[in-house]
Amino acid sequence: MALSLRSALRKIWQTLSSIKTGVVLIILVVIFSAAGTVILQRPMTDADDMERAYSPAMLRFLDATGLTDVFHTRWFVALLILVSFSIIAASVQRFPNAWRFFARPYKSPDESFRKVLPTQAQIAVPGNPLFDNDEEQGLNAAERAFKHLGLKTERIVRTNSFSLFSERSRISEMAVYIVHASLLLIFLGFIVDSLYGWRGFLMLSPGTASNQIEMKNGSLRTIPFSIRCDGTGEETYADGTPKKYWSKLAVVDAGREISRKEIVVNDPLVYQGLRFYQASYGRTGKLDQLILDATPTNNVASTPQEISLAMNQTVALDPDTSVQLVDFIPDFVVQDGQVYARSKDIVNPAVHMIVTSKKVNSSVSVNVWLPPMPGIDENASSPYTFDPKDLKTGVYTGLQVSHEPGQFAVWAGVVLMAIGLTFVFYVVHMRFWVVPVRDAQGGTVLWVGGTANRNRDAFELKFKTLVEQIQKELKPEFVATAQGQAATIAGR
Amino acid sequence: MARAKVEQHPATGTTLIVMVGLGMAFLLFMAFLNVVKSGNILSEANLLFATLVFYAGAGALYLGFGVTGTDSYIKYASLMTWAGLLANSAAVAHRWYEAGHPPFASIYEMLLSFVWTLAALTLIAEKRYGVKVIGTVTMPVAIVGVILMQLLPSEVRPLVPALQSTWLHVHVTLAMLAYAGCALSFALAMMYLIQDKMKTETFLVATSVFTVGIYAAVLLRFEKWGGLNVVAWDAQNKAEVFISRGVRLFVTIPDLGWLMLLVFAAVAAPLLLYMVSRRRKIQWGIAYATRRLPDALKNLWHWVILRDKEYRSEAAALWKAVNPLPSNSDSLIAVADRAVFISILLQILALAFFLVRVRGGQYPSLDADGLYATSLAASPFILSALVGGIFANLLYLLLLWRRTDLERLLPDADTLDRITYKTICIAFPLLTLMIAAGAYWANRAWGSYWNWDPKETWAAITWLVYAGYLHMRITRGWRGRRAAYFAILGFAVVMFTFFGVTYLLPGLHAYA
Repeated sequence: MALSLRSALRKIWQTLSSIKTGVVLIILVVIFSAAGTVILQRPMTDADDMERAYSPAMLRFLDATGLTDVFHTRWFVALLILVSFSIIAASVQRFPNAWRFFARPYKSPDESFRKVLPTQAQIAVPGNPLFDNDEEQGLNAAERAFKHLGLKTERIVRTNSFSLFSERSRISEMAVYIVHASLLLIFLGFIVDSLYGWRGFLMLSPGTASNQIEMKNGSLRTIPFSIRCDGTGEETYADGTPKKYWSKLAVVDAGREISRKEIVVNDPLVYQGLRFYQASYGRTGKLDQLILDATPTNNVASTPQEISLAMNQTVALDPDTSVQLVDFIPDFVVQDGQVYARSKDIVNPAVHMIVTSKKVNSSVSVNVWLPPMPGIDENASSPYTFDPKDLKTGVYTGLQVSHEPGQFAVWAGVVLMAIGLTFVFYVVHMRFWVVPVRDAQGGTVLWVGGTANRNRDAFELKFKTLVEQIQKELKPEFVATAQGQAATIAGR
Repeated sequence: MARAKVEQHPATGTTLIVMVGLGMAFLLFMAFLNVVKSGNILSEANLLFATLVFYAGAGALYLGFGVTGTDSYIKYASLMTWAGLLANSAAVAHRWYEAGHPPFASIYEMLLSFVWTLAALTLIAEKRYGVKVIGTVTMPVAIVGVILMQLLPSEVRPLVPALQSTWLHVHVTLAMLAYAGCALSFALAMMYLIQDKMKTETFLVATSVFTVGIYAAVLLRFEKWGGLNVVAWDAQNKAEVFISRGVRLFVTIPDLGWLMLLVFAAVAAPLLLYMVSRRRKIQWGIAYATRRLPDALKNLWHWVILRDKEYRSEAAALWKAVNPLPSNSDSLIAVADRAVFISILLQILALAFFLVRVRGGQYPSLDADGLYATSLAASPFILSALVGGIFANLLYLLLLWRRTDLERLLPDADTLDRITYKTICIAFPLLTLMIAAGAYWANRAWGSYWNWDPKETWAAITWLVYAGYLHMRITRGWRGRRAAYFAILGFAVVMFTFFGVTYLLPGLHAYA
């Protein structure tokens, strides 16, 4: 039983780590993401539009399978997790080999390796009567050639051999694991965000503060500090297209103002891992200030008095008379002796005020409407006439709030991936070996071999220059002068 | 061999150069008169005109080279390309200076940058890698690009708040470079298939399927009684007309739908003729599939999941059995080739009618009362699709008539295979960085680094396809045909991401 469990596990592991499984999984991801872009998606598309686009049965099917919100369904996340596991399994399975290759470089090539290496050359070392050690002399020449090309060399001395090894950018062998690790880091951040991240909306008018974020599903979420809006506005280009939306925000934590920032589109406010973005801007349809000129009805010649009214505010016009603003209708329509609001857009506004005059023992209230509403208003009996001057309506700023704790993993992953890809594509691991061997005639020959893990054409050229340089260094006059210099240096 | 060929054509060589030279001298003289009249030499229009003249000259010479193989053309052609690139650079600089931002903000500006990149890449491919014939393909594209620019609204438009970010330029520059790299790898993969002795008729199938796809997509906008729906254009505001947020108003151009249907039939004809000529193979394949469908599914399972060697060899045996089956008649293929020629003429007709009808006149709409105008700027994708179809078919004719010359001029198959891979090695990191820059920007502008917007999703799919190519090549040693097919698939996805998503799947990337 235990054995069969083990073999089953091994089977699963093998399947998971095979490149074909990876390819099949990725094809599935591609198919479902493509489906997610073609099928209308739930939160973005209105319910009405969905019903218009699909038949009820179709919609029920799509909803049941989650195809109307592909990217947030459990099975899609599960698929992404499966892809991550496949990447991990494939990397883990291949890593030990690569690591061995990386940690214990093959420095001293044996004969069978030398036979099959595709890029190799043999250079005869000319016998030199001055020195009897041809092998030493050959390796010295090779060392100078490597140095000339900017490569470091290493003398490898084994019990029965004696050779030269040189390499460059061994890290390149590990690059693909860096890329895979970065991808996993990105996935990790993504999964953290889909589990613990949230997005909401906060609507503020200037002068107000709030710590209640409205979530997508309509629920409210309380955050541990509040955001106060100190002002908001828009700027437009001469042709009327929007140029800039801005909001002055302040963070208020435990009654204390922590920081202030003017945010614009593309430049959010960040506090305690929460980000506040300028998302929308508009008019609330509510009245902020109404500015009027009031003139006593019985004394039209007197200078009008300018008053400013907010909603439900009462202002005294003289010791006996006061006016109160009781209603503001942004877009009015009169029907059957009643005033109705048609929309929230300020296109056709009306205001309702009550003018109260103290008489000896009682007070008289008069309904005043601006503009006058025949049959409804009592403007004629009002002790004052009003002339509207200005209407200041409320504006609001819409802030998108997001909490994405995993995004740092994502950015770290992106940076790591950029590094990894640079190594994968542009850094070549080159290895060279030089081994002195005996040819059939008994003379010394330098066997030179090399390999590169990518970009073989460029490598072949480099190898050719190296061989030419070694040949040059091996010419008798070169050897003589070089040895002479070495001798003088040693003699000094 | 090459030398002998050149010596056969010295006369035509000089003739073409002289003709192109005279034509350009005439155009430049006309332009000079115009400049003298307006008194402003360095206006963008003039720079673009100069660009067009030089590119047209270069394109003619490159085409001459592609058709006759006269090497001396190349020297003059690249000289012209240099001159055109210079004028193009000046136009880009002028635009940049005037707009105050790099020219990536509208379709017009994108085309300006795209044409510049194309010309620069042509020169690089020619000088650095010796792919001389590439200009035959790229310069006509550049010419079409410059002509399209004349039709699009070119005034500098201010940037809306969401686009006011340095990341716009980073993101778009990277996208341009990455997509240009993908396009280059596609062209190289096609050349590889030519050099790999792929049959000419297979290219016929490929170009026909492509053109049929284009007209099928255009006919999605077919309206009852033969009209064609296009987006309405508000000439005063230079913008598309919207009914409500994100919903464009479509107007119906009468009778244009019938014409498109006719051209659809014309471009489908070569494909049908091909299928008829190969009916024995197709019949055989269908019979096999119906008889052995359950088995075939099992094969797939065994082959892909269990990696069963036996099933794989069976599939190979099947291919061996079908592939050498004799064709019914090759004469039908010759008819199909003629049908391609006729379809090109009809396509040009369709394009001409489209241009005329769209530029002039007011049309009714099904969704709103009254008559509305439309403009080429409102239908850039139909326009590029029509031009692209003509271009693909012309390339097929070039291959059909001049295959031996092309084979002589192109680098050998191995080199092309390697360069294709190298191009993707450059394009893939750029693609990665493009997505990363886009994500970072989205994080600043929209509040989240990933929104599953269609464009984003398709960019990720593109990335996955190229990642698949690299894995197959590096770990499985895919070379040659399979790698070339993969590179072509990758570019098809790129094209869908660039055009298809904008045209068919609306989302947050509304401005590009």
